[in-house]
Amino acid sequence: MMKTLVLMEHDGTTLRPGSGSAIGFARELSEDITVLLLGKSLEVIATEAAQYAPVLTADHEALTATVADRWAHLIAEVAQDQNAELIVATSATWAKDIVGRAAGLLGGAMASEVIGHEIVNGELRLCRPMFAGAINATLVLEGSPKIITVCPSAYEAPEPTETPFPIEPVAIDASTLPSDTRFESLDCKIGARPDVTEARIVVSGGRAFKSSEDFEQHVGGLADQLGAAAGSSRALVDAGITPNSLQVGQTGKIVAPELYLALGISGAVQHLAGMKNSRVIAAINQDPDAPIFEFADYGLVGDVYEEVPRLTQELNSR
Amino acid sequence: MTEDLSREIFGNLDDSSQKIFYALAFISCAIFTWGIWRRVKLWQRGRPDSQRIDWRAVFHNLCTRALAQRSLRATRPKASFAHRMLFWGFLALFIGTILVGIEHYGASIIGKKATEPLFHKGVYFVIYEITLDTFGLLMIGGAVWFALRRMRGDSSMEHRTADWLVLSSIIVLGVTGYLIEGLRIIREATPMPGISFVGYGCSKVFSSAGVNQGNVSSIHFGLWWFHSIIAFGFIAALPFCRLAHAIAAVFSLASSPRPLGQMEPVTMEEVEETGEIGVARLEQFTRSDLLRLDACVSCGRCEDMCPAHEAEKPLSPRSLVQDLRGHMEASSPGPLHGETIDAQTLWACTTCNACNDICPLGVRPADYITDLRRHLIGEGELRGAPAASLQKMQRAGNPWGLPAQDRLTWAKGLNVPTVQDNPGFDVLYWVGCSAAYDRRTMKVARAVAQLLQRAQVNFAVLGPEERCSGESARRMGDEFLFQELAAANIETFTRHNVKKIVTHCPHCLNSLWQDYPQFDGHYEVVHHTQFLGELVTAGKLKAATVMNENVTYHDPCYLARVNGITDAPRNLLPDNLKEMPRHGCQTACCGAGGGRMWFDDSATERIGSGRITEAFNTGAKTVAVSCPFCLTMMTDGIAAKDETVEVRDIAELMADENALKNSDAI
Amino acid sequence: MKIFVPCKRVPDPDQKLRLNADATDIDASALTFILNPFDAIAVEEALRIRETTHPEAEIIAVSISPPEGEADLRTALAMGADRALLIEHEGSIDPWNVARLLAAVIQKEQPSLVLMGKQAVDDDANQVGQSLAAQLGWPQATFASQIEFTDNGMRIHRETDLGIEIIHVVLPAVVTADLRLNEPRYASLPSILKAKKKPTEHITPTELGIKPEPRIRLLGMELVNSKRTCEKVTTATDLLIKLREAEVIE
Repeated sequence: MMKTLVLMEHDGTTLRPGSGSAIGFARELSEDITVLLLGKSLEVIATEAAQYAPVLTADHEALTATVADRWAHLIAEVAQDQNAELIVATSATWAKDIVGRAAGLLGGAMASEVIGHEIVNGELRLCRPMFAGAINATLVLEGSPKIITVCPSAYEAPEPTETPFPIEPVAIDASTLPSDTRFESLDCKIGARPDVTEARIVVSGGRAFKSSEDFEQHVGGLADQLGAAAGSSRALVDAGITPNSLQVGQTGKIVAPELYLALGISGAVQHLAGMKNSRVIAAINQDPDAPIFEFADYGLVGDVYEEVPRLTQELNSR
Repeated sequence: MTEDLSREIFGNLDDSSQKIFYALAFISCAIFTWGIWRRVKLWQRGRPDSQRIDWRAVFHNLCTRALAQRSLRATRPKASFAHRMLFWGFLALFIGTILVGIEHYGASIIGKKATEPLFHKGVYFVIYEITLDTFGLLMIGGAVWFALRRMRGDSSMEHRTADWLVLSSIIVLGVTGYLIEGLRIIREATPMPGISFVGYGCSKVFSSAGVNQGNVSSIHFGLWWFHSIIAFGFIAALPFCRLAHAIAAVFSLASSPRPLGQMEPVTMEEVEETGEIGVARLEQFTRSDLLRLDACVSCGRCEDMCPAHEAEKPLSPRSLVQDLRGHMEASSPGPLHGETIDAQTLWACTTCNACNDICPLGVRPADYITDLRRHLIGEGELRGAPAASLQKMQRAGNPWGLPAQDRLTWAKGLNVPTVQDNPGFDVLYWVGCSAAYDRRTMKVARAVAQLLQRAQVNFAVLGPEERCSGESARRMGDEFLFQELAAANIETFTRHNVKKIVTHCPHCLNSLWQDYPQFDGHYEVVHHTQFLGELVTAGKLKAATVMNENVTYHDPCYLARVNGITDAPRNLLPDNLKEMPRHGCQTACCGAGGGRMWFDDSATERIGSGRITEAFNTGAKTVAVSCPFCLTMMTDGIAAKDETVEVRDIAELMADENALKNSDAI
Repeated sequence: MKIFVPCKRVPDPDQKLRLNADATDIDASALTFILNPFDAIAVEEALRIRETTHPEAEIIAVSISPPEGEADLRTALAMGADRALLIEHEGSIDPWNVARLLAAVIQKEQPSLVLMGKQAVDDDANQVGQSLAAQLGWPQATFASQIEFTDNGMRIHRETDLGIEIIHVVLPAVVTADLRLNEPRYASLPSILKAKKKPTEHITPTELGIKPEPRIRLLGMELVNSKRTCEKVTTATDLLIKLREAEVIE
């Protein structure tokens, strides 16, 4: 039974979506799971986390901001105190920054963005993407603790339990914490659409859309439904329907999301050059001979003005 | 009787006057020489030219391009006509004056008196007088036409105040020349005065105004000196005003022009030695480059032809040349790049070569641009989308960075043989990057391949071994990348024993035909319209000569203007082809050449929109093209105007005609 | 000021990848390699630092690769780096050991700033910078999109899921570059040709006193989506089903 420490990301008020995936993964490997929360005034969050596993709270003034060197230092300390053999978090910029450093302090057996696993002859084999998703690699971590971040879409968060698990504070000696880094500010952009180069899903519109309003309604609407970024082909930027910042293509932005939805885009080579590394490409186009279908994984021949509202509605009703 | 026919040279001028005359002539010529020498010194700042002088060609060029004024070509017909008149008129009078000078000096050496001419008499004299009076009118006529045009304020003129002096001097010299002749006729009572018919007319006017042999001498004397001083002033001022173009033009037109589409070679060893490539400072231009700056008379024909200028880009070939000229003259000019010439000007060029082609003085604005571009690229100063395209060409061998293994996608289901499948091929079909990766252009390659198969041509393609020809890289100024690509392709050609190449892309054609020989790659390269034309003549294929709807044809710059191929495509199209106003060698650029294809212009800013309007205005339902760049630009542009107008390559039209059904499906 | 720029030699992401015979790794012999694009951004930032605030800065590019990796280090030299160091190593090496090797060189050279790409486009691990900072005990600033110097350190803008975070770190520090930090320059042709002549110092791990202790054992690789076969669906509902099956939406 591997002693497992799960790190859950929060924004100061509540647990971040996707953080439950770490629990989901951890439960597949072990029953001895403890959640570690760091921050300040963690009572509410701790209660939320306690629905999944026993919680340790490192609650201190000095941890108000997520500063990598302090947090990683504490995570390493707690992991060593707890003799954790497995440390898990959901992959996000937070985890990459902090858990990556913690791994450096703990011997470096780390695998990130894990999308699958299996246990063969007692050996934990992890599957993770490489080369922008063009290759899936299977690997084994040597040494202890094993530090793993998981892809949120690969592991489901479990249902919260009725009876909460216990919450315990962690003793913190602030004088031992590093102080070379100072948090200054955060320009919070939750709520706004993500950038087309960063988003996991990109919903992109092409020549089929005749006006900015149509684009915003259909492409924008679907993007918001999926928490996705909105993108556009060059034709719309040329026509003044979408701004330059949305242009995906050889002369626009190069994107490689998990899912690229090409709506009413014909698929000229210039556009292709901007999104060919997407993991999954789905296209909707009225023209069955549109070149985009040659480069898509899934294709729907139809009028985007009809099909996109259907998609949005179905996603909404879920 | 006619043997005695002559007129006294320097009549009414005593010895001291003649001495003063010759002294002034000497001074004026000295100033002229000094003026020319100053310009020559400027030109000498350039680096030596690599080409050896071919004297036979020089003679031929001077006769045809300069003397016969063939370099004016068909543009601006009225102005060209007026210039011919002025030029020939001036030349005739100039030669006439020299002949008179030889006569006078020769006679005085031998010791003959002024009344015993050596050769300036008799029949010769009759012909001489008639000729000069006629040509004098031409000269004045030309100058007057130009003066009137200038007064109308034509914006292509780039007017300077000194220009008025030049034109009025010519007119004054011409007019006073006749007046003096008229006075001389009165004074000497020259027999058969009618042979100098204009002068004779003037003498009649003078006579009726009361001038006679008694009172003519002082008027004649005064007017004669007036004319001489103006003439000497004119000669002395010539190197300092716009007429200097005439001197530089002689050298410019005498040298054989480098063929359009050919670029100045440069080796990487040179770059390593000097640490520089292209032109960063004026001295890095060749001497003939600098000379040509002076040959430019700022007529603006190049600007009229420039597609970038038409699209309101910050490029005017004329202004570029004049700016370089100003830089050459300036005593302490600032930096060439950034101050005299802006990078935006240089990047706007499509290298369509219209300016190079049309210049009557042999100036090559586009060649200056590529020289200057080489420096910018050499310094890594191109950023953004076009630079990324160059990087992709370098890494992946094509401008979109797509895998080489995908180069045969277009050929799916067609059984197109590669050089591996068919090592005994006669001709290599060079597919090019556009047909390999762009879905629309793939259909052109399919059409060509099927036509070749139908005609049972023994051909092969390189498939994944093909790399970008490097044409656009070279014209963007990336010589290093071009040489890398060319070397790789030449090695491939050698390995597969390639001798003859057919391609549907005029840019690849030009590069393989004109660039590659500089690196020891010598191949016979033909355009697909030429090759298919031969097959049609041999009865193996049918041309697309009968079509239901109106067709127009857009000549590609690199096929028609640069390589002179205009008939071959037309032989494959209907006879009732609707020609656009600018067709054949006068074609207007679609806007994609010179690397512009890789720049990120919005639809309204794109070069070539004027051409698209021109095509649209023919009312044709089909626009035939024979270049993948033109295909892309025309398709995008025309679709925005009228979606029912089709843009198709000639090969596709032929494939339809020859009932090759497969041409669309991939 | 000494700026260290770790540079990774990665396969060109535009080409089709090929695996070796037993599918345990990529077939390096069939691929072209380039300087990791994020590291190119780091080199560019170091050059800008030298051009603006620290004209005396010495920029050292470091790589861990087989000897033929010199060519890609030369890209950094051609852009303007002063020196290049190549730590000879064949085959793949995990982030922990990369950091160990880099840390050993850093102890020797004592730079005050390590500037590197946030991740390599081959393994996409995004670990080395953080691991290195931990091993050195230096502060870190990851996913930097803007850097400026202050009296006693650097102010860094970081791109995070929550938005742009601004932090301040004292030097020496490790900074990893994100995409939007800058647009790398294209090396000038003369400097590309000159860089061919600049020597690259070769070191072995043994000389650094480091014996790599692998933390990751790669068992196998599988090509994903090597050819997209467009599966046609007829309704929006079906499309959503397929996307859920592909695990790209919830």
